[in-house]
Amino acid sequence: MKTRIKEFRARHNLTQDDLAKKVGVRRETIVFLEKGKYNPSLKLAYDVAKVLKTSIDELFIFE
Amino acid sequence: MIGKPEWFKRRKYGGWGVTPKTWQGYVYVIIMILPLILMQIFLDLTIQMKILINTLYLGVIFLDLMHIMITLKKDEREYKIEAISERNASWAMIIVLLVGILYQSTMLGLNGTGSIDLFLVAALIIGMLSKSISNIFLERKSL
Repeated sequence: MKTRIKEFRARHNLTQDDLAKKVGVRRETIVFLEKGKYNPSLKLAYDVAKVLKTSIDELFIFE
Repeated sequence: MIGKPEWFKRRKYGGWGVTPKTWQGYVYVIIMILPLILMQIFLDLTIQMKILINTLYLGVIFLDLMHIMITLKKDEREYKIEAISERNASWAMIIVLLVGILYQSTMLGLNGTGSIDLFLVAALIIGMLSKSISNIFLERKSL
């Protein structure tokens, strides 16, 4: 799985810590999400997409 | 309760429970342990009384730590990591318990001496019950 979280986060001028606080997880979880090393729950994926004003489809690329 | 969960983090290595994360957490540990040490040195009481006071005091600390552990915030990744590591710990303990019971029962059968430790058997039975109860509740809960 690849993600475009880092790209969208940069567009919104958010740090990993900012995003983590907005979606209620630890910064480490965002780090692992960005690296594609963590499969989030549907709720977390939805929350991240909502904060980054995009859709889950845009954010997560399943290969 | 006395301690706050934000002062602590989950103990990942070397056992269970929590470990201080902030300076308040370290102060909490010192403040909670200090009276225990001072009581041993300065309180002129009978051994029975000291045991009673220590047990009550340790009970309060235990309850407070339980409260901290329960209210400690964890995100979904931490929950997954904790669940898997606890499962592995459970399996390791189950294997040791089974080996212990098997060894004791073999010795009892071969030599006719010794006995099977009931605590080992109780640990297995209570563990099994705990798993069954957890499954009953978790199957009904929306996870």
